[in-house]
Amino acid sequence: MSDARLRRVQKEIRDCAKDKTSNISIDMIDENPFHLIGAFPGPPDTPYEGGYYEVDIVIPDAYPFQPVKMKFITKVYHPNVSSASGAICLDILKDAWSPVLTLKSTLISLQSLLCEPVPNDPQDAEVAKHYLADRAGFNATAKHWAQAYAQAPASKVKATHGKPATDADMAGLAEENVVSFTDMGFPREKVISVLKKLNYRGNNVSNIHESTVLEELFK
Amino acid sequence: MSSDEDANDYFEYEDDGFEDDEMDQEAPVKKDYDVAYNVKTLSQVIDMQKKAIANIQTVLELDASTAAILLRHFGWNSEKLQEQFFNDPSKALTDAGLSPPSSPSAHTSPLLPPTASSSTPPRITRSSKRVATPATTRSRSAVSIQTSFECPVCCIEYPAASLSTKTLALGCGHRFCRDCWVEYVVGKIRTDGESAKIQCMENGCHRIVKGSLIDQLVDPDTSQRYRKLLNEAFVSDTATLRWCPHPGCENVIECSQAPPRMLNQIVPTVTCGCGNELCFGCGFAASHRPVLCKLVKLWQKKCADDSETANWLQANTKECIKCQSTIEKNGGCNHMTCKKCKWEFCWVCMGPWSEHGTAWYQCNRYDEKSGMDARDSQAKSRASLERYLHYFNRWANHELSAKLDADFYKNTEKKMEAMQQSGNLSWIEVQFAKQAVDTVIRARITLKWSYCMAFYLKRNNQTELFEDNQRDLERAVENLGYLLEQNPEPDSISKLRADITNQSAYVQKRHDILMDDTLKGYLERRWEFSVDI
Ligand SMILES: [Zn+2]
Ligand SMILES: [Zn+2]
Ligand SMILES: [Zn+2]
Ligand SMILES: [Zn+2]
Ligand SMILES: [Zn+2]
Ligand SMILES: [Zn+2]
Repeated sequence: MSDARLRRVQKEIRDCAKDKTSNISIDMIDENPFHLIGAFPGPPDTPYEGGYYEVDIVIPDAYPFQPVKMKFITKVYHPNVSSASGAICLDILKDAWSPVLTLKSTLISLQSLLCEPVPNDPQDAEVAKHYLADRAGFNATAKHWAQAYAQAPASKVKATHGKPATDADMAGLAEENVVSFTDMGFPREKVISVLKKLNYRGNNVSNIHESTVLEELFK
Repeated sequence: MSSDEDANDYFEYEDDGFEDDEMDQEAPVKKDYDVAYNVKTLSQVIDMQKKAIANIQTVLELDASTAAILLRHFGWNSEKLQEQFFNDPSKALTDAGLSPPSSPSAHTSPLLPPTASSSTPPRITRSSKRVATPATTRSRSAVSIQTSFECPVCCIEYPAASLSTKTLALGCGHRFCRDCWVEYVVGKIRTDGESAKIQCMENGCHRIVKGSLIDQLVDPDTSQRYRKLLNEAFVSDTATLRWCPHPGCENVIECSQAPPRMLNQIVPTVTCGCGNELCFGCGFAASHRPVLCKLVKLWQKKCADDSETANWLQANTKECIKCQSTIEKNGGCNHMTCKKCKWEFCWVCMGPWSEHGTAWYQCNRYDEKSGMDARDSQAKSRASLERYLHYFNRWANHELSAKLDADFYKNTEKKMEAMQQSGNLSWIEVQFAKQAVDTVIRARITLKWSYCMAFYLKRNNQTELFEDNQRDLERAVENLGYLLEQNPEPDSISKLRADITNQSAYVQKRHDILMDDTLKGYLERRWEFSVDI
C-alpha cells in the first residue's frame, strides 16, 4: 500500500501549498516525500508570538494508519516539548491518531498546543514545574527562547531588565538566586542546573530550603 | 435487533468436551490466609466468555458482537451491564461505542460485498436513512449513493456504482474504502495488538468495529490473532482472572477472594496446573510470601534504582579477610571455609562462623545503633544506605543461592549415588537427601522475602519477634545446608542420614512458624510498616 502512502502525502503537500490562509507550510527535504519540514508562526498573544517554528516530519511506512512522527527543530520552551530534543507529547501523535488526520491538521494542533500547554502530561518536567509555579517567569523565559531560537523580534520581548538574555534568563532563574550560590564557590553551570532541577523560581516561590540546594550542589 | 451481522459466528472454537466440573477442582483451603481458586484451561476461559456473551445476548436480545462489546465496556460485569442497560439502553450502547437500537439500520454495515458464506444479498441502505443517524455532521462521510466518493484516507475516487462493494461505513456513517478498512484493522491487530477497542477511523469517533465485521475483513491468520487478543483482553479485564505467567503455560487462575483492596492483608499465592507457583495479587511468577505485593513492588523498584551501589554485593567472589585469597561461592551454604588458610566465616557478614552456630546468631538483624549517632544529613543518608544494604545483601544472597539450585541438586545426586554404593543403601533410602534439598530451597525463598519484609517493618516488639523467627529459620537452614555438603563416609552414613532427616523436619517446622505467624499477623494487624500499604 505504499502507493496509497505516496498518493496521500503528495496530495497533502499540494493541498497545503494551495491554501494561503493557514500560514502553514510543508516542504520536502532532498526531494524525499517521506521526510518533510513543516513550519508555522508562533500564535499571537502567546510568548511564542513573532517566532517561526520548524518541525521535522517523518512519514512512517504504515502512514496514514500509523501516526506521523513529528518533533520541533526550533527550540521551544514549553511543558509538552522537550527543551533538549524537541520531542513532543501530544495525544494525536500517539494513541489518539486517526487516519483522517493530515500533516496540516497535525501542525495546526501543534500550533494550538503552543497556545494551551497541558502541564499535567508533560514532556519536559522541569519546564512544566516552572509553568505551574511561576507563570510570569515562565512566559518571560519562553519569550527569551522565542527571541534566541525562533527569530522573534527583540522589540516583542519585554525582558525584565532590557539587556540581552543571560544564561540565567534562558534557564528561567533569577540572577540574584544564582549569584547567592556561586558566591559560596559553586560553579555557575552546576548552580543553574541544580536550581532548575529543584524549580527554584522567581523569589523562591516554591520555598525551597537552602540545605536542600546545598545537598544537591554537594552531590 | 441488528440482523445483518451474524450472531453465531462470534466464536469459532470447537467445544473440546471438557466438563467444567472435571477441571474446576477447588484447591482445598488450608489456612485463614490462603485463598480459594480454580485453574482454568484456555478452552474453559473461552467457554466462560461464550457463556457470558450468550447470557447477555438472550437477556438483552442483542446479537453476539453487540453483547460482547457491551460486556467488554462494563468489564465483564453482567449485573452492572444489565442494570445500566435497563435503566438507559441508549446511553449504555453509546458509552460502549455503539448506536442506540432505535435506528437499527444505522448500525449495520450494508455495503459489504457478498461473501461465499453469506447467502443473503447485501442490503443497500437508502441515503435518506442516513439523515437519522446520530453521528456525522461531516458531509463528506454522509455521501449519497448518486455521487462518486473520494476515500479521505487513501484519496482514491470511487464511482457511485462501486460504492456498495468497495466502500463501507459503520453505524456512525463515516465512510471509507474497504481496502483502507482492511489495512487499518489489520494494522490495529498485528502492529498495535488491539482487539476489543478498535474504533472507527474518523478522528474522535468512538464507534467500535464489531468482531463479526473484523472476521469478514481480515485474513484467517489475523482473525486468529484477533481472537487470541480478545481472550487476553477478557482475562486482563476480568478482575477475578489472571494468566499463569510461566513460559509455555496457557492456564488462567480464577480467584474471587483476592481483590485489590484485600492485598494489604493477604498474599494470595496459588499453584497453577503447570506445577509452578505465582502470586494472584500481582502476577509475580513465584511465591513472594510472606511479603505483601505492594512491598515487593517497592522493593524491586528500590533495588533497581540502587542497583549500581549494590552491585558489588552481588558479586560471586569475595576475598578471605585473613589471607586475601579469592573465595568463590559454589553452593547455597553460607558457612565458608577458606581453602588456603582454613578460616571459617559467614559469607553474608564475613564474620567468624564460630559466632553463628551458637546462640548469638545475629546475622539477620541490622544493628540500628550504628545509624543512631548520625548527625549531619550526609552521615544520615550513609546510614540509611547501610541499613538498606544490610537487608539487600541478605536478600540478594538468597537470590544468588537460588541461582545455584541446579548445582545443589546435582551435587546432592552425586552424594546420593555414593551413598548407595558405599553404604549399601537402596535408591528409596537415599531420597531423604533430595527431600532435604527441596526443604532448603523452599525455606530460602521465604527467607529471601523475609529480608524485604524486615526492611519495611517499623522497629517494635512485633518486629523483634519476627526477626527472632527469621534468625531461627536462617540458622536451621544453614545447619541443614552444611550437613548436605558433608561427604558421606561409609561408617557415618547412618548418622548423617538421621541428622539430615531430623534437621530437615526442624527446618520445615521453623519455616511454617515464620510463615504462619507473619501471614496471620496481617489479618491481626500486627505489623507496622515504614511505608503506606
Ligand atoms: Zn481508502
Ligand atoms: Zn465513525
Ligand atoms: Zn501455569
Ligand atoms: Zn503479589
Ligand atoms: Zn583464607
Ligand atoms: Zn553472618
